Amino acid sequence: MGVIKPIAAETALIDALDGATGWLAQLREATRVQGLPTRRHEMWKWSDLRRAAGEITSAGQITVTGAADGVLEPADGETVELSVSASAGASAAALSVVVKSGRTVTLVERYRAEAGSLGNIHLDIEIEDGARLERICIQDEAEEGILVASSSIDLAVNAHLNQVAFSFGGKLVRNETHVLHAGEHSEAHLHGVYLLDEGRHNDYTTSVHHTGPGGITHQLVKGAVTAHARGVFQGKFKVDRAAQLTDAKMTHRALMLDDRAEIDAKPELEIYADNVQCAHGNAIGTLDETALFYMRQRGIPLVQARALLIESYLAEPLDFISDEALREQLRERLRDRLRAIS
Amino acid sequence: MLKINNLHCKVEAQDGAEKFILNGISLEVPAGEVHAIMGPNGSGKSTLSYAVTGRDGYEVTEGSINFNGEEIGDMAPEERAARGLYLSFQYPVEIPGVPTLIFLKEALNAQRVARGEAEVSAPDFMKLARTKAKQLSISMDMLKRPVNVGFSGGEKKRLEILQALILEPKFLILDETDSGLDIDALKVVADGVNTLRAPDRGMLVITHYQRLLDYIKPDVVHILAAGRIVKSGGPELAHELEAEGYDKYIGEAA
Repeated sequence: MGVIKPIAAETALIDALDGATGWLAQLREATRVQGLPTRRHEMWKWSDLRRAAGEITSAGQITVTGAADGVLEPADGETVELSVSASAGASAAALSVVVKSGRTVTLVERYRAEAGSLGNIHLDIEIEDGARLERICIQDEAEEGILVASSSIDLAVNAHLNQVAFSFGGKLVRNETHVLHAGEHSEAHLHGVYLLDEGRHNDYTTSVHHTGPGGITHQLVKGAVTAHARGVFQGKFKVDRAAQLTDAKMTHRALMLDDRAEIDAKPELEIYADNVQCAHGNAIGTLDETALFYMRQRGIPLVQARALLIESYLAEPLDFISDEALREQLRERLRDRLRAIS
Repeated sequence: MLKINNLHCKVEAQDGAEKFILNGISLEVPAGEVHAIMGPNGSGKSTLSYAVTGRDGYEVTEGSINFNGEEIGDMAPEERAARGLYLSFQYPVEIPGVPTLIFLKEALNAQRVARGEAEVSAPDFMKLARTKAKQLSISMDMLKRPVNVGFSGGEKKRLEILQALILEPKFLILDETDSGLDIDALKVVADGVNTLRAPDRGMLVITHYQRLLDYIKPDVVHILAAGRIVKSGGPELAHELEAEGYDKYIGEAA
């Protein structure tokens, strides 16, 4: 099997990662052998990264602040603010996070990607026995940039993960989260919100692999997409035979704000245990015309009525954020964005 | 106050077919009067309320709607609302995620801004809401919940009237306000409506049954059949209908 002929973005990325180790070395090798993922890869069929990166010709820089030496081991009760910023060109970074046994930690990740960037970042997260992690991924400043933020989360027994991903998309933004779920009183909550204006693309891909019994996974993802924008949701629950009594629920709901919007969703259950409660629901709809008329009849102008309806629709997953100030801040971001696009 | 002249309206059905529902309604409700519209199912009662308030999909093809000397037939629903037209819905709409108090404050201030009036401050609004809610035995807890979500039929209808008490419209259209109400709830709602009766305010009460009109006494009763007013008269007309039914009017309109 021959190696593919690389495009400029791939060459830049391969060169930039010369001598890399760990996940970065794997990324380099995968890019060298297969190139960047295209729609021919099942996991990327709605997010053609290679095509999106077509105009990138040089290496860029990805800057991570808040994690010295790429390793984080937050103290109990600590809130870590992590900033990830990708400049124009192709770049990649990786870091690891360990939440030690019994600790409760909050990780607020803020991502920026400049126009012409292809930023890749990977987080290796370990949540030890009895530890709790709340993770808020804010991807609202990618504009014309490409950003792929992936994570592998190892969830031990009695551990708790609460993740909320918030995105306005970008030229192509992908949040890919993999959870290895040990069960035995451990819980994963994987929520998300996306609001996409013209030209934006957002992809929220999650997979949860239940390996032990009695684990809980709950997921609520909501989105709204305007004309010429694309929202992608791929959710997978895999439940091993050993993971009896797993309770896993996945819900994805999205609004098409225009006939020319595109939303692609693939909910997937792969279950080998026979005594489990697993469900998925996926609903794509439009704004409720009756509610719009009701609001307008009360005097609320159309633009304001639409914004209020969309905001209240999208705000639901934000309720899972414990920090009230952060929750309100993101709701405010939604409100501003809705004002700007309507 | 409200003058409807030779109004024709067509509605686009879900299958895309168009249907004429109103076939030349003429009606005038002067300030201070309450008129009732009675008619069998499918006679065009709800369509009339939507045509007057400007709902999308209810296209006026002929005739005019004049409100306080202004033609409003081409105005957006919110423009008509700001001029003082209020519709109490037969089926009030649930709006998940929007607390009732926030919704009402947005509505009141949007109307005030449209009329060039100053916005009402949050404390003043709360005071207003509390006073009016008390009149209708509505708890403030209920108003913190999302609009109509999880409300009983009676609670929804009471909330419709509360909104009218707060927004103080110049003209009310009550569409089947009595449907889904038991007798106690009906009295509360009717009391609320009666407090809104005023020399400078008009009302159109749409109802299938005479029962509501025992509590909200109309000045004039119109009978609507097949999209036309086939007879108008005093309150006694409602009693006559109750005794004799709609059959003879359905015949007349055809």
